[in-house]
Amino acid sequence: MAILAEPPPRRGTARPRRVLGFRRVSQAERTVVEPDHAALIRAIADRADHEAFATLFGQFAPRVKAWMLRSGATDGTAEELAQETMLTVWRKAALYDRDKAAPATWIFTIARNLRIDAVRRERHPDSLLVDPADAPEAPPQADQLLHKSDTETRIKRALSTLSADQVEVVQLAFFQDKPHSEIERTLKIPLGTVKSRLRLAMARLRSALEDLA
Amino acid sequence: MSDHHPSDTTLALYAAGTLPEGLAMVVATHLTFCPDCRRISRTFEATGGAILSDLAPVAMAGDALTRVLARTAEPAPAQASPALRNVGLPAPLDRCDFGRWWPVAPGLRWRPMRVSGRAWAGLLAVAPGRSMPRHGHDGLELACVLRGSFVDAHGRYAAGDISEPEHDHDIPPRVDSNGTCVCVIATEGVRMRGVLGSLQRMFA
Repeated sequence: MAILAEPPPRRGTARPRRVLGFRRVSQAERTVVEPDHAALIRAIADRADHEAFATLFGQFAPRVKAWMLRSGATDGTAEELAQETMLTVWRKAALYDRDKAAPATWIFTIARNLRIDAVRRERHPDSLLVDPADAPEAPPQADQLLHKSDTETRIKRALSTLSADQVEVVQLAFFQDKPHSEIERTLKIPLGTVKSRLRLAMARLRSALEDLA
Repeated sequence: MSDHHPSDTTLALYAAGTLPEGLAMVVATHLTFCPDCRRISRTFEATGGAILSDLAPVAMAGDALTRVLARTAEPAPAQASPALRNVGLPAPLDRCDFGRWWPVAPGLRWRPMRVSGRAWAGLLAVAPGRSMPRHGHDGLELACVLRGSFVDAHGRYAAGDISEPEHDHDIPPRVDSNGTCVCVIATEGVRMRGVLGSLQRMFA
């Protein structure tokens, strides 16, 4: 098998390592690509690390704000909800479980719940979405845990396989609290087409990700 | 384990937080029965995470970080968890605000749920052997069986099962359980036919 072994990379050369087939990228290699957001959340939980929080804030607050704006919030409300989301990240950092969700997913659910609260102004908003942490379920299998951190990469890959039409309806569905009939008016396509595009897009996403969650 | 589930699209909208409250309550009820759909719903939450991290950032206010850091020093407000109101109903319905039961037709009772948003929702109790009111759909309708069972053209629905009709019911769903069938139902728009239709048109 020695013939298949790669020659050792020469010191000092910047040649990127080729990713062969399904070789797993180690945690150490991944942190080079982007900051380890899960470690930042841990630092906030463990030692109230302001610097870690500032990095996380810089990464996510402007994107949460963008999402709130696209969901129809005014600029003031979007700013307020983005700040509130990050404050909740600080307060709940100790509850974050990297085996259950990627950092972006966790922050997305916090932002989503705050947006729901803001939109509905209900007396009992917490009951609206079942917290998966409360629900009884079988413990995830070890290999699923290992794959957890790859989830986002794979979702992005799955999203990139959708047609432009499908991406459009998925984004509208994700950003806006609109009935399909309104999406129909926005995109000027018949309701049946909206429904079938959504259905195809969601089915494709789901089958690409089925083994992950 | 239930046999009838919400569509992928409905689960995605639930995970995205864009499903109207009444419909979200029905999905949430189903999720307490169905680990598979909880898993799929988390997959769609992860999709939300991926979409979020890909968005083009919009600049925050200049003092945003300072203000949030200042607030981290404040004690977190105590989170009052919603009171248990309806012992005997599954979560999350046990904490919902319901009106009283209304007899709407022989063998048919309706208990409205107070929800915001464009969908209306409530509990429907149908006596054994009776049929659900005949109706057509203008928008999304979801029903989750809590007790008893009913049958329609697509099969039999028991506790935890979701009915998400794509088209109008030609044959109205009929209760086949020995006891009363209780469902939580939400709909974006229903055109009732028969007696209920007249009532609906009178009060619309």
